[in-house]
Amino acid sequence: MFRYSKSIYGGQEQLIGASWDLIPWFAAAGVAFVVIHLIAAAMSRSGKRVRH
Amino acid sequence: MTETNSANTAPAQNDRVVRHTLIDRLYHWLMALAVLTLMGTAFLPILGIKFEWITVHWMSGILLAVLVLIHILRAMIWQDWRHMMIWPSDIRDIWRGFVCLFSSTAALPAKPGKYNPLQKLYHLGSAVFVLAIVGTGLVMLLKIDTPFWRRNPYVLSNDTWGWIYALHGLGAMVMITMIIIHVYFALRPDEFYLTKSMFRGWISRKEHQQHHDPEQWRG
Repeated sequence: MFRYSKSIYGGQEQLIGASWDLIPWFAAAGVAFVVIHLIAAAMSRSGKRVRH
Repeated sequence: MTETNSANTAPAQNDRVVRHTLIDRLYHWLMALAVLTLMGTAFLPILGIKFEWITVHWMSGILLAVLVLIHILRAMIWQDWRHMMIWPSDIRDIWRGFVCLFSSTAALPAKPGKYNPLQKLYHLGSAVFVLAIVGTGLVMLLKIDTPFWRRNPYVLSNDTWGWIYALHGLGAMVMITMIIIHVYFALRPDEFYLTKSMFRGWISRKEHQQHHDPEQWRG
């Protein structure tokens, strides 16, 4: 989830930012939302009623 | 439909309900330009497309910060901010909408005012992440030389810088998800009348009556 660096002189790892390996996961989350919403909208349309 | 027919069936001026004034549409499209430029300059180099990105990135970031500030002031002073607040009735309608997916006898959600509950939820999420990105981005300007200031990265500890970079990066990646969702809704046929209103500023009286509660949003 995060990127760390380690000093060439040793010592503790240092947080330097978010891991860019997460980029595809965030894109996939957007696509997953779209797919789930399309399914939900299709279910909703099949039993559509009128709002007043 | 031909262009002539389209022109003939366009609602008359008094059959239009103004949804977004020119200044709000300008704000929306300038913000879109700034956000897409920021994301392009942030992620394309990470994905292997190398170019001199930092100057365009920080300048677009300043533009976004100014736009967000103008939007906050305008929403608080000149617009009715209550249109965008999430009220208990919105939570009820989100729940009703969810239950209706599985039951044909459950109570339907009420017609919304200017914005429906999920649009308000999306706005809240966008506000949180954009403010986090803008806030951390403004602090990160201390790390670069510009014509206006000299870099001074020593005002914060390495640990603090690490968290600022992490928050900025995570917020930026969340925006990938948010933009996919935003574009999806903008392209949906049942929401397309709203997309058109972001270009021309208005929806028809018929669309207003069909999709909105005139008691909550008179238009």
